[in-house]
Amino acid sequence: MVFSFIVIPLLVAAFLPLVGKFSRKLLPDVLTNAALAFLLFNSILLIKPIFNHGVIVQNLNWLGEKVNLQVALDGFNLFMLFTISLVSLCIALFSIDYLEHYGHKSTFYALFLVMIAGMNGLVLVPDLFSVYLFLEVAAVASYALVAFGLGYDELEASFKYLMLSVVASAFALLSITVIFGMTGSLNFQAVAQGLQDLEARLVLGVCVAFFIMGFGLKAALVPFHAWLPDAHPSAPAPISAMLSGLLIKVSGIYALFRIIYSVIGLTPVLSQVLMALGTISMVVAALLALGQKDVKRMLAYSSISQVGYIVLGLALGTPLGIAGALFHLFNHAVAKGLLFLNSGSIQHITGTRNLDELGGLGKVVPVTAGTNLVGALSIAGVPPLAGFWSKLVIIMALIQAREFGYALVAILASILTLWYYLLIQRKAFFGLVAEKWRQVKEAPFWMSAANVVLALVCILAGIFFTPIFKTWISPAAEALARGIQQVLMWGL
Amino acid sequence: MAIQIILLCGLVIFSALAILLRDLIKAALSLAVASLLLGIIFFRLAAPYAAVFEISVVAGLITVLFILTIALTKKGDEITEARLVKLAFPVFLILFLVIDGLVMKSLLQKIPALPSGPESGTFGEVLWKQRTFDLVAQVGVILAGVLAVLALFRKKEEDKDE
Repeated sequence: MVFSFIVIPLLVAAFLPLVGKFSRKLLPDVLTNAALAFLLFNSILLIKPIFNHGVIVQNLNWLGEKVNLQVALDGFNLFMLFTISLVSLCIALFSIDYLEHYGHKSTFYALFLVMIAGMNGLVLVPDLFSVYLFLEVAAVASYALVAFGLGYDELEASFKYLMLSVVASAFALLSITVIFGMTGSLNFQAVAQGLQDLEARLVLGVCVAFFIMGFGLKAALVPFHAWLPDAHPSAPAPISAMLSGLLIKVSGIYALFRIIYSVIGLTPVLSQVLMALGTISMVVAALLALGQKDVKRMLAYSSISQVGYIVLGLALGTPLGIAGALFHLFNHAVAKGLLFLNSGSIQHITGTRNLDELGGLGKVVPVTAGTNLVGALSIAGVPPLAGFWSKLVIIMALIQAREFGYALVAILASILTLWYYLLIQRKAFFGLVAEKWRQVKEAPFWMSAANVVLALVCILAGIFFTPIFKTWISPAAEALARGIQQVLMWGL
Repeated sequence: MAIQIILLCGLVIFSALAILLRDLIKAALSLAVASLLLGIIFFRLAAPYAAVFEISVVAGLITVLFILTIALTKKGDEITEARLVKLAFPVFLILFLVIDGLVMKSLLQKIPALPSGPESGTFGEVLWKQRTFDLVAQVGVILAGVLAVLALFRKKEEDKDE
């Protein structure tokens, strides 16, 4: 059951190019969305067993032969699987109409599913080298998807992304190699145990630094962020949503914090370093976002800033901080996915993303304008939307831990966030309708439907904050807060 | 030890040449020599399987693919680079070598010897029975690569309605 998160997308991806020979649109659309809907359903079914037992470890036999196919599921990775499944399903729904002018839907969907298989694999494997390999699966698919439009900008952005991503992977691999050299194992549990028995703090410090550089590049933390504002806006809108909403979080934040919490252990120094990196990202990227004219570029900078919040909460290390950060991770995945899809709708409707050329669209395309407002206000932290609660919990956790300086910066960055999102809203949707936009029509059905679903998630997650936090976020946060004990509990 | 140092220096020099040389054929050959040296280093460090893969795949197969591709391209698309861009790599390389040297010097005596872990056995056993998940991921990487080629080298098509 747990393996299906990796096997199903890979299998469907392998068959899609063949299916595409018979049916260019309908079957690829149906197969991809059905596969993702199944994964979402599967992740919902797993919530109860995880809530009752805490951990599920599954081994798979291959034709009666014992092989080492082992996955470990706890609250943290189930939370990630659910987020990946939900957001990617909405993105796939959006793609049904959006991809009409790109063509080659089957190849696009196949790469999309391989990327999801890579992310799911990364989240599920309890082994350092397998983490690296699944990181590459998702990354290779994402390079091709960024360049999918085949224009000059797309190819340039993809090349830049490829180059920096390879450097990131190299740092992570180097660190994994040194850890293998020290402990003789790659399995999370064995490495965690091995490192506890070793007196090699200096070497371990270098390994952690490499991990921060590698996964920090993947998560686009300042100062490792240069690739993101080029790569994310150049990609087709569904892929921008995927990269900003999910990939930077899975291959950057999940990988980094799973290894730090569950394998190496969070030390006070490490906590301070990561909190500083998170805060710098939060502020610098928010300031850079203010000056942007391209909607997608502004959203890309905003992603770096919001990743800063998540890192700040996770690095704080208190159960409340972790819970707030995880809830913000979910909220940002949903709202940023929504905003990038909306930017795709705007481009589809008007043919431009330049804020100076837009204006007054709210009157002619109310669904796009309304959903955009919900996403923007949620990320900016306006009550009662989901983003408000997650930011509030992070700030409360900072105050509880007596980190008043960080709490103040987090509040100020939130005001900056609200400022630039209102700027998008005012320039694109408010005011008088320009003559050339009077005749434009609302985005096609599936594009609007996907946006509406994501906007509803933003609203409902805010209204039902308490039950969601109790039943779903807290088990995930507890799994992380238990630290190395969590991995030892897996009994691999 | 002396042979090892010569091999390692050769590896760094030929890897740097692969980036610095403007002639693509020469750059591809430098990369092949670098990976050949790496293969020899693997042999000397008692990792014969890694050495075989390195020499046959990277030094052999990939070099052939590079040279074939270069042979199929035409002259005329050269881009003249600014002097600053040309200087960037050597400066970065020297900086990296200095930092690397300092870090490694301080780490050299502190990395504990590798204890014999549970992940040992014959090559076949390790690959198929202990690292099975890596094979699944490998399938994923190959699939992603094939699909990327399909996507990036596709002909622009006029999509007809179903």
